[in-house]
Amino acid sequence: MDPLRAQQLAAELEVEMMADMYNRMTQACHRKCVPPYYKESELSKGECVCLDRCVAKYLEVHERMGKKLTELSLQDEELLKRMQQGTGTA
Amino acid sequence: MTRASPQLRDFLLVYNRMTEFCFRHCVCNLNYRLLTGREESCLDSCAARLVRANHRLMGAYVGLMPALLQRRAAEHEAAAGPAGLPDSPEPAPGPAEPSPAAPAAGT
Repeated sequence: MDPLRAQQLAAELEVEMMADMYNRMTQACHRKCVPPYYKESELSKGECVCLDRCVAKYLEVHERMGKKLTELSLQDEELLKRMQQGTGTA
Repeated sequence: MTRASPQLRDFLLVYNRMTEFCFRHCVCNLNYRLLTGREESCLDSCAARLVRANHRLMGAYVGLMPALLQRRAAEHEAAAGPAGLPDSPEPAPGPAEPSPAAPAAGT
């Protein structure tokens, strides 16, 4: 595939995934911070602060999960290589 | 026009789902902006457990699916066999062979 085209596809995919992450984050933080009591339309200060912290935490969790997934998939690859080497020499 | 690899897309979707799932179950204390130690260890365990559970599920699925598909195919053949006999003396035609009943069925 043309490298420019590949770059464009990767960028499109990234945008799509960021949008998906944003939607999930919105849902999760709304569930955690905004109780379903609809007497008032304004958000309280506590709810606003909760939402700020929730977003900060969610983004940190996202980064942490990415690192953990990479680490786990590398471990799996190494294990597979060792198994293949083991069957090759046997 | 080709899209980015479907495996990469699936992987990234799984990544997002895992983030949401582990966030929901591990992050309960919104009094601080940073993750607490307890939350961090919960998240690490959550990620590892999800990945290992997925591997195990895949193994079980790959082990059970062929037998299930074979059984389904055998049931199909058993159902098609007796139904095909009274209609025509010839055996049921395959998809490539023209069937004498096809034009009548098409109209």
